[in-house]
Parts: sequence; structure tokens; C-alpha cells
Amino acid sequence: MYLKSNLSWNVVIPAESLDAGGLMLQKAIITRLMADFAAKKATKDLGYFLALSTVGKIGEGKVRKQSGDVIFPVDFSCVTFKVLPGEILEGVVHKILKPGVFLRCGPVETIFLSHQKMDDYQFVPGENPYFMNGKSSKIEKGVVLRFLVIGEKFVEIEKDFRVVGSLEGDYLGPVS
Amino acid sequence: MSAEEEENAAELKIPDEFLKAKCLMNCEVSLILEHKYEQLQQMADDPMNQMSQVFEKSLQYVKRFSRYKNPDAVRQVREILSRYQLAEFELCVLGNLCPETVEEAIAMVPSIKTRGRAHDDEAIEKMLNDLSLIKKFE
Repeated sequence: MYLKSNLSWNVVIPAESLDAGGLMLQKAIITRLMADFAAKKATKDLGYFLALSTVGKIGEGKVRKQSGDVIFPVDFSCVTFKVLPGEILEGVVHKILKPGVFLRCGPVETIFLSHQKMDDYQFVPGENPYFMNGKSSKIEKGVVLRFLVIGEKFVEIEKDFRVVGSLEGDYLGPVS
Repeated sequence: MSAEEEENAAELKIPDEFLKAKCLMNCEVSLILEHKYEQLQQMADDPMNQMSQVFEKSLQYVKRFSRYKNPDAVRQVREILSRYQLAEFELCVLGNLCPETVEEAIAMVPSIKTRGRAHDDEAIEKMLNDLSLIKKFE
């Protein structure tokens, strides 16, 4: 689910960027915030950071004694994306293997659908492998699937989520 | 919500911060991100640098999976759905998946039928009809 979140971060402005006052300082703070935001990528609790929408209050700057850098607390709102267990999403199949398929959905690249969670779909090997069920419904590369989220895990080092999905349920599966 | 209780969006057992946060439909995110993309292009210093992979992938996704493209239609969808006392989360799932039948709507958002709320099939049917009308006139 995409969410609009309100956050408050501390933005550090190096001493050397402080020479010009007024508008330039505000621009430096926002530019810095945007760079920090893009670099952050994702956190366990909030999910992926997509885009800043509005910058609110910029608080009083505090000088760091050692370096002379100034820290500003900045309130802003942003768009985030977090996968919630129990949620139904649509994703695009991008890899097909015997044990199951991988989907992509928004910023998440690794959504795994195990063969065991795909109802009666059977693996069909070949140069372009695919899955097919008794009703000739085919799951191949590029197909859009509606799936249920069973679980998610945050990988700290990569700042990335791993998601496990399922097709077991009514109205789940390929979408035309 | 107790810590032991497992998260389950189907029963609206989702962390408190998300119940309070404003959920966004794919079509709304698409409008926001496209606007942001234009802004970044206009900015003098290196727009590519400011655009993360997360941004790019999400933009591609929401463009493809938006049921409504026209900003007025997007606004109307939220307006219509908010007449039905839905949680933010439920509202957005319905707006994203656009179920066609009452049965499908309940399968997508099981919580609309639980918690003793006054959503009889008739009300859900009316809501789906309203939604499909917007799509038709978009």
C-alpha cells in the first residue's frame, strides 16, 4: 500500500555551504533533504521512500561544535510504500523457475510465489518455461498476477524487502 | 493492538501508524510522482541524481496500474468511496483493484463484511456501480 507519511528529520548543512544567507540557505536545506531522502531507500517500519511531497517547518539550526556544521530539524510529508501481510496486490511476473515465480510490484523486485501456493498450476519446462493449470490459464513472463501477501522480511544490508505471496483464494491469479 | 497479535491486513489488523496514515491509491500516487518528475526535470542541477531507483520503479508501476488517469476522476473516486464509511486502507484497495461484483469486492477486502458494519450486499453493489460509472465517463 502506498502511504502519505509525515516525518521529521535532521538535515546537516556543512559549514562551507553557509556563506550565503536567506533563500540560498533554504535551498541548500531542501536540496540536502532530497539527497538524504533518495539515499535512505527504505526502512523496516516505513517501507520504501518514494518521493518528498511537501516541506513544512524548518526549525532553528544548531551548530555542531567540532565541525561548524549546522543541523536543522525539518518537517516534511512524503510518499512511502509498504507491503502489508493480508493485503492483495497486483504484480508482474519477471522470472519463472521450477520452485515458483518471481514478481515485481512497485519498488519491490523480489516477491516469491511458491509453486505450492499456486493452487493447481503445474510447471512446464522449456526454453521459455511457464506454469499452467487445468483450465489452460497460463502464468508466463510479463503476466499480471493478483496475489495475496503472506509475509515480508526486511534485509538490512540491502535495505530491501523480500515478500512471499500466494494465489490460494478467490479471485486471485492472472489478470487480463 | 497487542504485540503478539499477528498483522493481517485482511482483518484490518494492521499497525496503528498505518491506520492513521493516509493511504493512497495507485492513481493518486501516479499524479504525485508524475508532477514530481516534471519538477525534477526543470531543476537546474542534475535531475537524474535526485531520482532514486525506488522512485523510477514506482512511477512505472503506478502508471501501468492506475485505473483512473484523469485527475478529476481520481478525485471523484475518493469522494465516492469515502461516503461508505470505509477505513483508508479498504478505500484504496477497492480503488486499486476495482472489483466488478459484490463477491469479488468481499474477497479483496474481507473486512468490509466483518466488524459488525452496516455493509449489506446492496450498499456494496451501489458503491461498485458508482465506481464503474466514473470509469465510463472518464
